[in-house]
Amino acid sequence: MKIKAKLKNGVIKVKAMAKHGMTTFNMMEKKTGNRDDANFIVHINGEINGIQVVDFSTSQFLSKNPIFKFELKADGFKKGDKLIMTWVDRKGKTGKGKAKIK
Amino acid sequence: MERRNFLNLTLGALAIAAVPASVRAEDYRRTKPATWSAKTVDDAIKAMYGTSELVMEGVTLKTPDVASNGGAVPVDFSTDLDVESLLLLQDANPEAAVMAITTNKYSINKYSVKIKMGKSGTITIVAKGKDGKLYAAKKTLDVALGGCEG
Repeated sequence: MKIKAKLKNGVIKVKAMAKHGMTTFNMMEKKTGNRDDANFIVHINGEINGIQVVDFSTSQFLSKNPIFKFELKADGFKKGDKLIMTWVDRKGKTGKGKAKIK
Repeated sequence: MERRNFLNLTLGALAIAAVPASVRAEDYRRTKPATWSAKTVDDAIKAMYGTSELVMEGVTLKTPDVASNGGAVPVDFSTDLDVESLLLLQDANPEAAVMAITTNKYSINKYSVKIKMGKSGTITIVAKGKDGKLYAAKKTLDVALGGCEG
């Protein structure tokens, strides 16, 4: 996962991209004949200094290589702290990314 | 107890103790499975929140009026209300739910994501306020080229 996090005026702006095909049931039925081949990210978690700050549950209808932009209150977090994000897909595979808050 | 067994047990216990952050958070895929298989926006909201009575205010939703690529339709949404969760839905694909967000005390609740839409349709954002009400916004848009057959 590629992540950028920028702190300004007490707000952390985050831009994150997960590299994932995000295939849907219908797509895979056409391609392989098996709906169960569909695979997409189902959950994304993010934390700074061990505190959970991101909790997304997702479906097959996010775009391929989905991008997330969101903002967090800096409340105690500072430049140099690390934002760690982890995704898990339908087949149980996980991906991880981290970024230093700039 | 043999040393090897003891080690295995300890490692197992450690692993269980270490997983948690993600498991403890509310994973709506697990706790609300019906939300994700619901075919209509109304059913998905009901499955998630128990009711689909919406208050159409307090939520801002921005999308292009015409999306040229249904495989990646930009959706921006935000709310200044004190909410505990948000749900993003559409009616252009076989199932309605796209994304559920659990907020925390760091959330500013300003999001921007890209979604797939198989055809033209309506995007709905539902935000559950801490007062128990469901605030929402809807936007209908045209999709020029359907995204990946939903």
